[in-house]
Amino acid sequence: MSDQPDTSGDTDVNPLEDYASEMSERLGAQEFSVEFDTVRVLVERDKWVETINAARKELPFFSWLSAIDWSRDTEVGEGVSDPEDLEERFEVMCRLSSVTSADGVIFVATLPKDDATIGSLTATIGGAEWHEREAHEMFGIMFEGNTNLVPLYLPDDFIGNPLLKSFPLIAREVKPWPGDVDVEALPEADDEGGAS
Amino acid sequence: MTHRELMHRSEAAVSVELETPGMTLNIGPQHPSTHGVLRLVAKVEGERITEIEPVIGYMHRGYEKLSEVRTYAQINTLVNRVDWVSGFANEVPFILGVERLMGVEAPERAQWIRLILTEFFRISSHLLFMSSYPLELGATTPLMHVLREREYLLELIEGVTGGRFHPNFNRVGGVKPNYGGGSQTKKQSMDLPAGFFKLVAETMDRMDQICDDIDTLVTGNELIKARTIDVGVIPADKAIEYGLSGPNLRASGVVYDLRKVESYLPYDQIDFDVISRTGGDCYDRYLVRLGEIRESVKIIRQAIDIIPAGPLQAKVPRVLKVPRGQVYSRAENPKGEFGYYIVSEGGKMPYRLKIRSTSFSNLSILPWILNDQLIPDLVAIMGSLDFVLGDVDR
Repeated sequence: MSDQPDTSGDTDVNPLEDYASEMSERLGAQEFSVEFDTVRVLVERDKWVETINAARKELPFFSWLSAIDWSRDTEVGEGVSDPEDLEERFEVMCRLSSVTSADGVIFVATLPKDDATIGSLTATIGGAEWHEREAHEMFGIMFEGNTNLVPLYLPDDFIGNPLLKSFPLIAREVKPWPGDVDVEALPEADDEGGAS
Repeated sequence: MTHRELMHRSEAAVSVELETPGMTLNIGPQHPSTHGVLRLVAKVEGERITEIEPVIGYMHRGYEKLSEVRTYAQINTLVNRVDWVSGFANEVPFILGVERLMGVEAPERAQWIRLILTEFFRISSHLLFMSSYPLELGATTPLMHVLREREYLLELIEGVTGGRFHPNFNRVGGVKPNYGGGSQTKKQSMDLPAGFFKLVAETMDRMDQICDDIDTLVTGNELIKARTIDVGVIPADKAIEYGLSGPNLRASGVVYDLRKVESYLPYDQIDFDVISRTGGDCYDRYLVRLGEIRESVKIIRQAIDIIPAGPLQAKVPRVLKVPRGQVYSRAENPKGEFGYYIVSEGGKMPYRLKIRSTSFSNLSILPWILNDQLIPDLVAIMGSLDFVLGDVDR
């Protein structure tokens, strides 16, 4: 937010902390975190559907649902900062928000890689269907109870889950980038030139 | 056989086979009522839709995956192509999110320029709706009339950013300095073009005028009213359940505008109203957008009076390394809530970037809203949701 760029822990009083702690206590959630004004509440996988339905009484707006692949095996990108300490897992996230204030919470459930299954929200949230279908095809996560987990974006015969970190960017491997843009080295990190 | 006899014969043939068995109708993949490629598979009983399955993904470009191999500055060019009608408005929440992670704040003047350009794009996006929606309903006059006026706005945008649709004008810590070429080493910023505010004031008068013209041409038009009033009614609870946002949500009686509730950009220093209606039908969605153009004009008029002088860029390192952290940053795009969930692991590229695009959620209500509707209402309802397929498919 423009007038308070960072409220992630240095400040003594953070109303979001109180809000998050009260919220997670009321919902019986495992733990919570408040980082850069973003409230995350950790939910046990078995209580996923139940907790989110309970939370919708005060945060009715279904904003989005998606996932993160925490993985050491990275074909693309830079990977995590400390691969040794990383616990390989999926995080499924669902954001609910208020429609009267700025309140909003991201509910997070952790799934093991070998059993990436979680309950579906589609029985009570119609809008979750497309989001779950996307997470299913992109990460291979199963949503039990979603009867329509057919590919949303990808062709029907597509093999693989593109948003997994282990999934390479095939287009680049088949046909290298034609320009010099990627060949040119980026400026050195210690070059503190400043843009202004 | 005369023409008249032929007609009688065909009418007779129809009246014999009035029992129409259910069939599956394939619509698309083309653009039945909007830009981009969408396919609908509809099961129909006569004229009535009993079940509909939208097929999307024809424009899936994999931006979330691409973002994992792009630096933050490069991602900025990707995100203004997600919803190409409101490019600048997509950049804003992304850049604000990165700034929050880095603890950087843009100078005041840059914030105001962001606000003014966001509102330019809001008017531009709504004007496109104002020209294409009546066309979809058979009113051809507004199309060229409104597009001509929109061109004045696009020229303003081009004057500031150098681009009409894809400005790529935001930078972490401010907006693009050194507009207008010149060597990269030249440190002075060129700021806004000369005579900009006078031109803005004139253009805003034109926008007021075109709103009045649209009122005359469309709002009171009996045919438009017949096609849209009480058609495609979305009750508030359904809109909330499907994550509809922006004008689509506000037309259903939910007064919710991120410009009012989230404290981003200096919207709190400006006096403007949140336009909302209670009917939730196609006509109300149209009226909300028309009202929002007038409000945006109000916002821009105030902003060009308030905007302070000053630098356009805060000091940031040339190579952006974003500290480890996760942030959800959202803003009011012309079409609704546009947000980014940025996961940084401390590098030059994000570990994961989730794009919460507006039209994806806005379109996800289609199977529910088109159920039990008539085929002729299909275009009226779809058009009224004002989606961009690039925003749906990402």
